[in-house]
Amino acid sequence: MRAAVAISLGAIAGALSRYFVAIALQTWLGSGFPFGTLFVNLSGAFAMGWFSSLSIAVRSPEVRLLIATGFLGSYTTFSTYELDAANLLALRQWQAAALYWLGSAILGVVALLGGRLLAGKKSPD
Amino acid sequence: MPLPEISAPLAVSLGAIPGALSRYYLGLFLTRKLGSHFPFGTFAVNLSGSLLMGIVATAAIEHAIPAHLQLSIATGFLGSYTTFSTYALDTVNLWQSNKSAALFYSLGSIGFGLLGLGLGVMLVRRL
Repeated sequence: MRAAVAISLGAIAGALSRYFVAIALQTWLGSGFPFGTLFVNLSGAFAMGWFSSLSIAVRSPEVRLLIATGFLGSYTTFSTYELDAANLLALRQWQAAALYWLGSAILGVVALLGGRLLAGKKSPD
Repeated sequence: MPLPEISAPLAVSLGAIPGALSRYYLGLFLTRKLGSHFPFGTFAVNLSGSLLMGIVATAAIEHAIPAHLQLSIATGFLGSYTTFSTYALDTVNLWQSNKSAALFYSLGSIGFGLLGLGLGVMLVRRL
């Protein structure tokens, strides 16, 4: 029960942050490219790399459920990312689609490693 | 029956809670069934969520789903059910134990996810 409450509280904050960041970036940069999803996914991966390296994430299951599973899990999204890529493909914007689709996956890992570095944890290999 | 008008943030929140909880409990279930040497949970939610997103996004265009229901299902539920931050974390963690599995997971997630989404689009267009 405590797990479900922690995840739910994090999920509401995470999903609303994603929603409002997307609106703000679309207003600012336009809707020709999915800047909103790109931003939440990369900043969320960075935050995940940082948070998962902290000792509190290892020691407290409830903090981990609130921040990692709830907030960061819901702040970032995979289904909208694939939809964005499919929409760029449907518009025959091949370069933008490939850049967004592969770029998100590669930069996501880079951002996660950056977050780990910030937390003082050495990157793997 | 017309749906009651609710604010956009409430619509997103109402979808986000079951979305994140489904992800969590499906992850626990698959880890218990299949083990934790591969991130089956995140793999399963991201692929099934992409398929559902193809269905919902196409249905929204072709069958005029009310805007607040779209926010609840697509932005709230599916947005929270699927996750990108855990996907990136899984990839890096898996890389440390099994590099070929990490490559399969990373590229397989985005490849099968896109195929699943396309399948969802086709399913709705056929109906």
